[in-house]
Formats: sequence, structure tokens, C-alpha cells
Amino acid sequence: MLVGNIATVVLVSLGAVFFLAGTVGLLRFPDSMTRLHALTKADNLGLGLVVLGLLPQVDSVLAALKLVAVWVLTQLAGATVTQLVARAVWRGGGS
Amino acid sequence: MNAPAVLLRAGGFLALWLVLAGVNPADLPAAAVAVAAATWVSLSLSPPSGPRVSLPDLAMLILRFPGQSLLAGIDVAMRVFDPRLPLNVDTVPYSPRLPEGAARDAFTAYASLMPGTVPVTADAGGDILIHCLDVTQPVAQQMAREEDRFIRMLGYRDD
Repeated sequence: MLVGNIATVVLVSLGAVFFLAGTVGLLRFPDSMTRLHALTKADNLGLGLVVLGLLPQVDSVLAALKLVAVWVLTQLAGATVTQLVARAVWRGGGS
Repeated sequence: MNAPAVLLRAGGFLALWLVLAGVNPADLPAAAVAVAAATWVSLSLSPPSGPRVSLPDLAMLILRFPGQSLLAGIDVAMRVFDPRLPLNVDTVPYSPRLPEGAARDAFTAYASLMPGTVPVTADAGGDILIHCLDVTQPVAQQMAREEDRFIRMLGYRDD
């Protein structure tokens, strides 16, 4: 139990650091394409770490699968939307 | 229509519904509608006669993914938290081996989650451009290796 709680605190905190990185990237990176890198990569990892950190806290396999499914769906949606935004940015004149 | 393929997909969507919404008999009518709609969309977008996915290669891609996600996230975090903001942004042209269409779109979506790269389909029929945060990295070779893994997973024969 204690090990699970420590894992939760460490992983969720790390996840928060990567969410912060994604947001700082959104503010500091110079154009839409580089900002896409920040959001797809840093926030995806942040969510993955938060999900991993919450797994020791769930009380059923179904709840654990639900957390993992949320992560998978976010990866799929994030990757697809990244492609659409990148295409729109590029066809609108780059950067 | 291929009945086992339909049942397999409907079963998969039902399982996803149960995981997301929980097991609740009162939800059954909504679940039935959602599963039927998802199965129909899935069959029309990706007919069962398409290429057969190789399960061992798919498993390898899935197992490799968390590590790549970790590298990608750390790479971005190191750059954004560095006061000098080390970026070496450029685009690299890349000729994909996958034919234009759903398979290539799936690959570019997957590759946009890999470290340092976001592929862009710049215009219909042409090459794709890889937008990279650090152009000094061997981006095109990296992308070719990822595409090889993806092609093996989709079960395409090299020709």
C-alpha cells in the first residue's frame, strides 16, 4: 500500500512536470508547428505518467482498464488532430 | 459480408463500451446503438478484406511505444526548460513507401508521436515533409526505420 502511494505521488508529480513543459512550450516555442511538438509529446507523456501513477489506487481490473483506455484514446485523438492541424498550418502558408 | 469479422469488431467495441461506461443493464439500449454505429463506421472505413495486421509486429510496436513517448516528452521538456531554447527547426522531405491513403495517414499520425518529428502531408500525391525540432538528428533514417516496422505490422509484402 505504502509503495503504491509513493509510486502514485512520484508518477503523478512527474506527469505534472511534463504538462507544465507542454504549456511552457506552447508559450515559448516560436510558431504553430513547433508548438504542436510541445503539445503532442510533452502532454502525452504527462498523461501517461498520471495514468500510470493512478493505477495503484484503483480497486478493480475494470477501473484500471478504463484508465488505460482513456490514455489510448487520447493518444489516438492527439495524433490524428496533430496531423489535421499540421496540414492546415502548412497549406495556410507554413510556420 | 464476412460474419466473423463483423462479430469480432462488434465484440471489441462492446468490450470498450463496458470498460468506459461500466457494466450497467440500464445502459444496454445506448450500448447497442453505439456498438452498431461504431461497427458500421469501422467496416466502411476499413473493410475486413484489407491487409491483415501481423499481431506479433503490432505487439512489438505497442511495447516500443511507451519508451518512445518517454524519449519524446523528455526531449521537448529539456528544450522548453532550457533558457537558451535550443531549437534547430527545419523540414526534411521524405518519400514514404506506403501508398497514399489510410495506411499512410495512420503511419504519419503514429510518427507524429515519435521523438522530435511531426510529418506533414504538404500536398496531395507528393512527398511528405518531416517537421523536426532538431534537424541535425538523422531524421529521415529514423522515419524509414519506423516505416519499416509499420509496414511489417500491416503485413504488406515488399515489392
